[in-house]
Amino acid sequence: MAERLLTRFTFFERILHWVVGVTFVLLLATGLAFAYPALFWLTALLGGGPSARALHPWVGMLFTAGMGAMLAVWFRDMFLSGTDRRWLRAIRHYATRDTAKVPPAGKYNAGQKMFFWVQGALAVVFVVSGAALWFPAAFGAAFLQWMRLAHYLATLGGGLFLIVHVYLGTVAYPGTARAMIDGTVTERWARHHHPRWHEEQTRP
Amino acid sequence: MTDTLSIRRVSASPDAYIPISALRSGGPTYAKLVDIGACIGCKGCEVACKEWNDLGVEPTANFGSYQSHRDLSPKTWLLMRFNEVEVDGNLNWLIKKDACLHCEEPGCLFACPAPGAIVQYTNGIVDFNQENCIGCQYCVTGCPFDIPRFDAATRKVSKCNMCVDRVEVGLEPACVKTCPTNAISWGSKRDMLALADQKVETLNARGYENAAVYNPAGVGGTHMMYVVPHGDRLGDYSLPSDPTASPAPMTALGFMKRMGAYLMGFGVLGTLVHFLRYGPERLEEHGGHGDGPAREVPSA
Repeated sequence: MAERLLTRFTFFERILHWVVGVTFVLLLATGLAFAYPALFWLTALLGGGPSARALHPWVGMLFTAGMGAMLAVWFRDMFLSGTDRRWLRAIRHYATRDTAKVPPAGKYNAGQKMFFWVQGALAVVFVVSGAALWFPAAFGAAFLQWMRLAHYLATLGGGLFLIVHVYLGTVAYPGTARAMIDGTVTERWARHHHPRWHEEQTRP
Repeated sequence: MTDTLSIRRVSASPDAYIPISALRSGGPTYAKLVDIGACIGCKGCEVACKEWNDLGVEPTANFGSYQSHRDLSPKTWLLMRFNEVEVDGNLNWLIKKDACLHCEEPGCLFACPAPGAIVQYTNGIVDFNQENCIGCQYCVTGCPFDIPRFDAATRKVSKCNMCVDRVEVGLEPACVKTCPTNAISWGSKRDMLALADQKVETLNARGYENAAVYNPAGVGGTHMMYVVPHGDRLGDYSLPSDPTASPAPMTALGFMKRMGAYLMGFGVLGTLVHFLRYGPERLEEHGGHGDGPAREVPSA
């Protein structure tokens, strides 16, 4: 008998996730191309150097829109509770699969919530510094140099988060990625990763 | 003269920060010397620049100055700035020949992310290759003299190229050729420094005690130098007193990029090591915190 499935993300939420995901990967690839001459060939993803430079801010606009909608849709679910703070203290046990010592999570665990807020903050840095770099004629050289530094640091933070995000969402925790594809997870997955959410979902 | 277009540095390339002077073939290193004390403000150099480089005419309007245009542009690579300043109760034109100074340590080149868009020849000329330019304008933010100008139509940046196409065949730049008072001189950097010292001495003898050579050390010296009669008033000439090719944020950016490359590399490696150690998580039917009646459930 097939296992019962729970709906984790709506169609709209999945669309938002992939708008942000695809635009962020494109922005990260072309941004790294601009930061590292050895990776300049990545500009080919957006049609070569001049075209990548011209399109990067427009893709950034799409990213901004997606990120803004994401923040608006999800922020209510992302405030940290007392259990979340205990979860964060136990993050080492979570990373080493010592799950018995990890407090049970609701729909999102504290790591996911922190990921949400840090990505939101990084997005603000991206957008503010990116807007300045898009219209350099309006600003002084020294200010723009600081904006380049800020834009790069956000890239570094976002890049590192993406690595962890993709790892945890795919090979580390099988059964997770489908939540962002067909929107469902198995009941067993839900009971294991998000027991309080599972309880809410299956309560008669 | 055969080596005048030997390349010293190329933007966004591994050797961009490494002076390879040891590999130089010993060709001449040129410099242009602008004696502002001898400039009569005729703007012949502006015209010669436009003609040789085929930059075309840009309409202008009287804005209360003797100056031809308000600012440099993608089609105006040289602008004589007529700064009206009172010195000892008299009106003075503290003229600045505003164009690329061809820094020995070019901030534009260091800031450029496009491989080959900016090159520095061993002869000292810093040149933009528009075919490789991606239009990001980082050179504008890297230049301590506010020289490169962006053309929104072509999405390319341009500036004075020291008439590199004349220099490579042994001719002086067009502005040098046309100057009727010999206020602009051309020769090896060493000869021009010696000539500059002579000109400063002459100015000193004429009562300009603060006359000075402008060849700022913060950018490793420049291949266009000025002799300014009022060396204590660099700001009035629109010349920055302490330009630098490596301002603090750019130095920090260079350092962080290096660290960032390692961090991202270790990030990928770290997930791989984690995976090899802990593997994919297996969901047990029993066991783990998600099972059994003992787990916390918030009361609804």
